[in-house]
Amino acid sequence: MFIEFKDVSFKYYGNEQNILNQLSFSVEKGSMLAILGHNGSGKSTIAKLIMGLLEPTSGEIFIEGEKLNEKIVDTLRQKMGIIFQNPDNQFVGVTVKDDIAFGLENHQIPRDEMIRKIDEFAKLVDMQDFLNENPENLSGGQKQRVAIAGALAMDTDLIIFDESTSMLDPKGTKEINQMIQTLRKNYQKTIITITHNLEEALNADRVIVLNDGQIVLDGTPKEVLKEEAILEASGLKLIDGISLINMIQNYTIRIKNKEEIIQALWELTFKM
Amino acid sequence: MNDKIVFGQYIYRNSAIHKLDPRVKLCVLFMMMIGVFLIPADNFILLGIAFLIPLTAVILSKISLFKYLKSLKQIAFIMVFSFAFQLFMPVGKNTTILTTLPICFSYVNIIVCIFILVIYFLIRRYLPFKFLFFLVCLIGIIYLLRYPILGKAFYTTKLDISEAGLIHGSFLVLRVFVIILASTSLTLTTKPTDLTNAIEWLLMPLEKIKIKTSIFAMMISIALRFIPTLFNETNKILKAQASRGVDFNEGKFKDQVKQIVSLLVPMFVISIKRAEDLADAMEARGYIPGAKRTKLVQMKFCIGDFIVFFVILALLVGLILGRCGLYAL
Ligand SMILES: Nc1ncnc2c1ncn2[C@@H]1O[C@H](COP(=O)(O)OP(=O)(O)O)[C@@H](O)[C@H]1O
Ligand SMILES: [Mg+2]
Repeated sequence: MFIEFKDVSFKYYGNEQNILNQLSFSVEKGSMLAILGHNGSGKSTIAKLIMGLLEPTSGEIFIEGEKLNEKIVDTLRQKMGIIFQNPDNQFVGVTVKDDIAFGLENHQIPRDEMIRKIDEFAKLVDMQDFLNENPENLSGGQKQRVAIAGALAMDTDLIIFDESTSMLDPKGTKEINQMIQTLRKNYQKTIITITHNLEEALNADRVIVLNDGQIVLDGTPKEVLKEEAILEASGLKLIDGISLINMIQNYTIRIKNKEEIIQALWELTFKM
Repeated sequence: MNDKIVFGQYIYRNSAIHKLDPRVKLCVLFMMMIGVFLIPADNFILLGIAFLIPLTAVILSKISLFKYLKSLKQIAFIMVFSFAFQLFMPVGKNTTILTTLPICFSYVNIIVCIFILVIYFLIRRYLPFKFLFFLVCLIGIIYLLRYPILGKAFYTTKLDISEAGLIHGSFLVLRVFVIILASTSLTLTTKPTDLTNAIEWLLMPLEKIKIKTSIFAMMISIALRFIPTLFNETNKILKAQASRGVDFNEGKFKDQVKQIVSLLVPMFVISIKRAEDLADAMEARGYIPGAKRTKLVQMKFCIGDFIVFFVILALLVGLILGRCGLYAL
């Protein structure tokens, strides 16, 4: 298990209610988990708990078997990277090069190695021609790609995408989603994607649905998709007609009922 | 999207001054400041020599003189005021009085002066030669105050313009001019990030006495990173407000205040959110304030840097020794 949550509860300072209530789940190494939930359901809170940016009010979190606490949080963090929602607010460097270097500088990577890694990973995310560019001159999608390069350069085993595409245009969204697939297939990264968009969760190995601080659904995308009532009660927008048509446009099987649609969707997403 | 603001005055050119190490440039500026204020207040020859240093930089930088003048313009007002202040400062008895300006205040005088000021502030923004206009207004006011217009003056006084005052005044202005020219050639030829790195390097000795200069440097570099972003954001909000009929230039004072608040509040909220996000992102990427870090940027001195540094240093030392000798005599 890469990550294990054991009865984790969390409450923001000054709040009455727990945002997360006795949460338990685990993430296997090399797998892709999607966390689904409406706005304010506590998804980002989970991400920050994993990264050690917040401490659970009660319960325990294990990263590769080691308990996350203040003493080893800096070491454990080196195994994990996170891409946040807002492309601008996580761009620390003054240029693309500086931003990819930021994490490397923090981990005291020698300069020669740093330069090599910047080149390697800028190329991987197709940003090698923008190394000296300011963030002002980049699109949201490009900034997110730089953030991914930054995480990859640090050689993290886990990458969390916290609604990383929600502020991007369709083109940027597509680019990032393809990038996630690449990371998963070619680089064997453990991936957690956080979203309130059902479609984006379909690529995952496993989906958990969050509502009222608890996990209300947990299973493969196929299983989760069937629980229409629970999904709706959790405030999630079901896949609407237009996106459905878009998704099965090229799908040639005649579809008769809901079961088949789900089956078709599921196969489709696995083909992607 | 042409109106994106890029912060800083830096202009790229392939020049010797651009290639000079930012640490050396910063040191030279610092030495210039000390030197220029050590020059005795009537020694125009030494000041002339000091002036040659930024002048060389200006010429070598391959940046048009116009850019330099633009930044001098910004402090022209302050220079005029300090000149006037020095000019009218009563100095010792043994100096020649060049001319005496009678000043008298009568009600009509004051009203006319205020009228001129109001006119000045009203039409200022539509004029091309603001500074000239300012001078004309200033001289106009001084002349108006010579004699009481209509009726009796209720207060009269005299302002002496002495030779010493004139010399002190012009010397002060020239001093400031030299310093501003020097610092402008620094900011025009050096990237803000290079400057930050130079400052961090120069402050390194302070780390020894447990002052975390790296945190300070990180703060500057974050500020440099986010200033253009905040500018663009402000523009966006301004446009959004304008499209809802808010006009930031019109309306009563009370309305204007309201409109400014309608800009500041969202800016403030956005900035707080940004700061929170940024702190999370930095921490997640392993930043520990004050901890040791390696650096991507590598600064290397070359021979030219040493030559420039030591030439200026020699000049400064010479000046200091000269002054000491002066006192010793
Ligand atoms: N710093 C904070 N202090 C207090 N409450 C917070 C803070 N951050 C988030 N919250 C609250 O916690 C809840 C969950 O937030 P979050 O985890 O960001 O949700 P999500 O990412 O699913 O949209 C929200 O109701 C939000 O208002
Ligand atoms: Mg969130």
